[in-house]
Amino acid sequence: MPIEITMPRLSDTMEAGTVIKWNVKEGDSVKSGSVVADIETDKATMEMQCFDDGRMAAILVEPGRQVKVGTTIALVALEGEDLAAVKSGGMKKSAPAAAPAPAAKAPVTASVTASVTASVTAPVPVVQTETRHGMEGFPVESGDGPRMRVSPVARRIADDHGIDINAVKGTGPGGRVIKRDVEQVIENAAAATTAASSAGTTPARPSTIVAGRALAVSTSGVQTPSAPLSLSLPGRDVALTSMRQTIARRLVESKTSIPHYQVTMKFDMDRLIEMRASFNEKLKSSGVKLSVNDFLVRACALAMAEHPYFNASFAGDHVRIHEVVNIGVAISLPEEKGGGLVVGVIKDADHKSLRQISADTKNLAEKARTKGLSVQDMSDATFTISNLGMFGVEHFTAIINPPNSAILACGAAVQQPVVRGGQLAVGTQMQATLSLDHRVIDGAMAAQYLASLKEFIEEPETLVV
Amino acid sequence: MSSTSSSAPAASRRLPSIPPATLIKWLRDMHLIREFEVRCMQSYQEKKIGGFCHVYIGQEAIAVGCTQAVRHEDPIVTAYRDHGHALARGMTARACMAEMFGKIGGCAKAKGGSMHMFDKPNNLYGGHGIVGAQTPLGTGLAFATKYEDEVINGAKNKRVTLCFLGDGAVNQGAFYETMNLAGLFDIPVIFIVENNGYSMGTAIHRGTTMSHELTIKGRAHGLKEATMDGMDVIAVQQDMHELAEWCRENSRPAFVDMRCYRYKGHSMSDPRKYRTREEEERHESNDPIGKFERTLLDNGVVTDAVIKEIMASCREEVRDSIQFANESPEPPMSDLYTDVFVEPWGRYPGSSQPEFTGGATNVCAFRATNGKEGLV
Amino acid sequence: MTAVLSNPVFREPESMGGAIREIEFRDALREAMSEEMRRDKRVFLLGEEVAQYDGAYKVSKGMLAEFGERRIIDTPISESGFAGMAIGAASMGLRPIVEFMSWSFSLVAADPILNNAPKMLYMSGGQLGCPIVFRGNDGAGGQLGSTHSWAVEGLFSNVPGVKIVIPSCAADAKGLMKTAIRDDDPVFFLESERLLSIKGHVPEGEYLIPFGHAAIRRTGTHCTICAWGRPVSFCMEAAEILAKEGIDCEVVDLRTIRPLDLPTVVASVRKTSCAVVVDQSWSFASPGGELAAQIHRHCFDDLDNFVHRVHADDVPTPYSTKLEQEYLPNVRKICEAVRAATYRA
Repeated sequence: MPIEITMPRLSDTMEAGTVIKWNVKEGDSVKSGSVVADIETDKATMEMQCFDDGRMAAILVEPGRQVKVGTTIALVALEGEDLAAVKSGGMKKSAPAAAPAPAAKAPVTASVTASVTASVTAPVPVVQTETRHGMEGFPVESGDGPRMRVSPVARRIADDHGIDINAVKGTGPGGRVIKRDVEQVIENAAAATTAASSAGTTPARPSTIVAGRALAVSTSGVQTPSAPLSLSLPGRDVALTSMRQTIARRLVESKTSIPHYQVTMKFDMDRLIEMRASFNEKLKSSGVKLSVNDFLVRACALAMAEHPYFNASFAGDHVRIHEVVNIGVAISLPEEKGGGLVVGVIKDADHKSLRQISADTKNLAEKARTKGLSVQDMSDATFTISNLGMFGVEHFTAIINPPNSAILACGAAVQQPVVRGGQLAVGTQMQATLSLDHRVIDGAMAAQYLASLKEFIEEPETLVV
Repeated sequence: MSSTSSSAPAASRRLPSIPPATLIKWLRDMHLIREFEVRCMQSYQEKKIGGFCHVYIGQEAIAVGCTQAVRHEDPIVTAYRDHGHALARGMTARACMAEMFGKIGGCAKAKGGSMHMFDKPNNLYGGHGIVGAQTPLGTGLAFATKYEDEVINGAKNKRVTLCFLGDGAVNQGAFYETMNLAGLFDIPVIFIVENNGYSMGTAIHRGTTMSHELTIKGRAHGLKEATMDGMDVIAVQQDMHELAEWCRENSRPAFVDMRCYRYKGHSMSDPRKYRTREEEERHESNDPIGKFERTLLDNGVVTDAVIKEIMASCREEVRDSIQFANESPEPPMSDLYTDVFVEPWGRYPGSSQPEFTGGATNVCAFRATNGKEGLV
Repeated sequence: MTAVLSNPVFREPESMGGAIREIEFRDALREAMSEEMRRDKRVFLLGEEVAQYDGAYKVSKGMLAEFGERRIIDTPISESGFAGMAIGAASMGLRPIVEFMSWSFSLVAADPILNNAPKMLYMSGGQLGCPIVFRGNDGAGGQLGSTHSWAVEGLFSNVPGVKIVIPSCAADAKGLMKTAIRDDDPVFFLESERLLSIKGHVPEGEYLIPFGHAAIRRTGTHCTICAWGRPVSFCMEAAEILAKEGIDCEVVDLRTIRPLDLPTVVASVRKTSCAVVVDQSWSFASPGGELAAQIHRHCFDDLDNFVHRVHADDVPTPYSTKLEQEYLPNVRKICEAVRAATYRA
């Protein structure tokens, strides 16, 4: 085995180095300890020594060229090794220059989320400095500023007792509402209640106590605690996998920050199923087996041309309409793999044939269930489809996969009575439900998109041409 | 004890009555250190080793000769150029290499690194990174051996401590304080100044007064003084043995000007512009390993074949240590908070935490397990 | 030897019973050291003037006579040397007590006490410990000027691996010193020259006070005052004055700042909704600042005001009595802080 000489790290901070001069030629003998080249580091010009005995078979980096630490820059043939063979074997791995790496394409998720966050927090409230005891040079608070000042404990007590903190007069610095102010309100309320009760009339609620939450104060003064789930109930705890944590975080974020609504439509599937059967029969020999989902992916992708807002992201002060159509497909993972859910992405789905979509989907599913998807496999979806049809589910709704603006939840194609031309007949139908971000898509737009889908699915030839 | 560093032509030097097996062990120990250090340089350049790394090439005769001159139970402590001392003292190449690779198989579980080698079973008390800091510690080790003898068990083990330092440490205040204390308290510690002529890039005469007669620094504190040829393992072992036995018997400290030369740079990023190639070559021709080999060949202790075999076995041992270090796992994250006192209620992880271990509201739980319930 | 050390019985001095026995703070320290030296031969004391002079502050008075010069060791004025030497001895398993005549002098020994003692166990991967006690006077002794008036807890509590003990009374001094000597980690034991002559009840019999357990010196409902060391007595005095004004203070004496008994402080502040931290070190990056941050962190929704702090003023310690008195945390400053924190200013 020839020895690869790599660009050495010659200082604690060195990332790349430049060969200034080679002290040996190809074919020269080298010994462990001999200085074969001078290397310019970030700190100085240093001698590079060889650690093995042999002959220099190939010099792969010419003087003046900077390469990263660890890059192979020369090959040494050991005793008994053929110089030419070593050299020809080594030229293939000639070192690339330490050119700046192409800027990594930021995942859509990250950039959009960031801009959403930024725009949401955009108007920064002016925080006034607290007056400090015994310190000079700080701005003096004025009591009539725009912001209500409440000490944390005062806020908590008020909250516990259903007291409207805005109505409490603060006696602390700058009008801060402090503990004793809230306690005063509670005391007054209790006194009023007692007085009212003894007078035999319905107690009038103190104006500062919000209806419905003040029961404890206005009746007995004792709060009824809500009954929490007792931790002593028998059970077992299952630790969250990191995937489960991600699902939990992202979906809570989606469901709580995106104004979701759903729109459902039924599609007649008879022709599509018939066409699928005929295709699969013909393609059997080449190992291709199209699924209903493959048709749906293609239909959703093609429909984007007319409905760009379904291939878009909400970005705070604007809507970003994506130029590429990447359809995410939710893939559930088997229990023995720890369960969970990933979204594999079929890139440029609007430019892919049914066959290609089918192949991509199979690859993604296979990879997800065996070695796991790479970040790239899961990045940059612009629309997502979740399909539970294979489990016999007829109808369900899905949570939007941020930063998408819509997700399609597909049920099973089931035989059921249908009315055609006033006649009852047996037909195969599928229900699909869009979940939508109302900030981007309104109800009528959703209906139009579903109508386009319906056209593609009920006249499936359009999906082939 | 030789009085100067200049010695007779190496090949024909005296060969005292030392068993051949012992001489061969010394040779192997020196080869092991050299091979180890060469591969450290390589591994550092391959980014397997991080931080600072200082190699011992050229000074092998000192670590080997000194450790072979004293008993295994005699404590030793050194500075940051410490791989050679660790190996000479019996640390395995695996533990030493894995420590540098930052792996759990390292001698200090990857908490010390290149400059901080600790090996209690082999009575190696570090590996200390601050120049001169090990000198009061070394005196403390010797103080403890003496205290044990006199106060605790009266066993009169009479251990002697070897405290290695570089010539740069000679100028640290702590070292002067230490020599004063050692002289004052009759502490059996030997300060071995590995005088390789350079503290980092500063030649000794540029940083140290009386550098031509370094032992005067020891003499000023009443220490027994000696100058030894650190490029000759036999001389080091013989002279050091004689000195150590004297210190042991008399419970007194000593100062050794151990003359040597550092073949490589101060650390891995040193271009050595402060000295000439000619100077380096002059010293390289006086290589302690080559010289010792010639002596052994001339005296018929070894043959070329034996030397080749020794070198091959050292290469194999170091290759194995690198494989071990590569394969050894990184320390578990839980190790971050072991071997140090941690607040009983939680950790300071360097963020807006810490939390109470039992949850922020669970003050009572803390009390029940750790607290005053245990009090009478 | 390990058998002697295993399972120390921790007891609070109040639980000891017996007759009242009032001794000085320095006598309590000496009793602790002497008792531990009698039970464990590995324990020895070294420092400047500890033997023949009987201790610069008479803490080690008479110990040379009892234990001899092998165990009560006079050192030259050479802090870096003897502190480092003691650390080396501790790594071999001895249990040295190192007296710094003043903690102000420990600064010339910064490398051994900060770079070696607290890190030895960690850097050696658990092979070498450092069971050592450094002790001496800390804080302003009275007109000593700035170089001799360091409150080093501000600097040293920043270092992981050290334990820092600052007792406020004789009984604690004894019980904490015995724990310090038996502890396997380096302990910085900070005494006060101004407390050494103060007498207090120290019960007969053996007791060890655990580290990380605050003592509640006075219970109250309006404001929690946290302190350690000498300022605790100022806080007690302030609490009496404030009580007359209708402000009922709880005084928590932390006793050790590493470990820090946060649970006790938090429980108290959750009750009072109000906290004042009193610390004789300078305020910037101080243990008092750390404690205030922890209170804000753990009691955020319980606080009626931000945590108020009383520190030494941010200037070198002045010589003038008048200026020095004003510079230190004192009763007046504590009262002002409590009034402000409780909105009674």
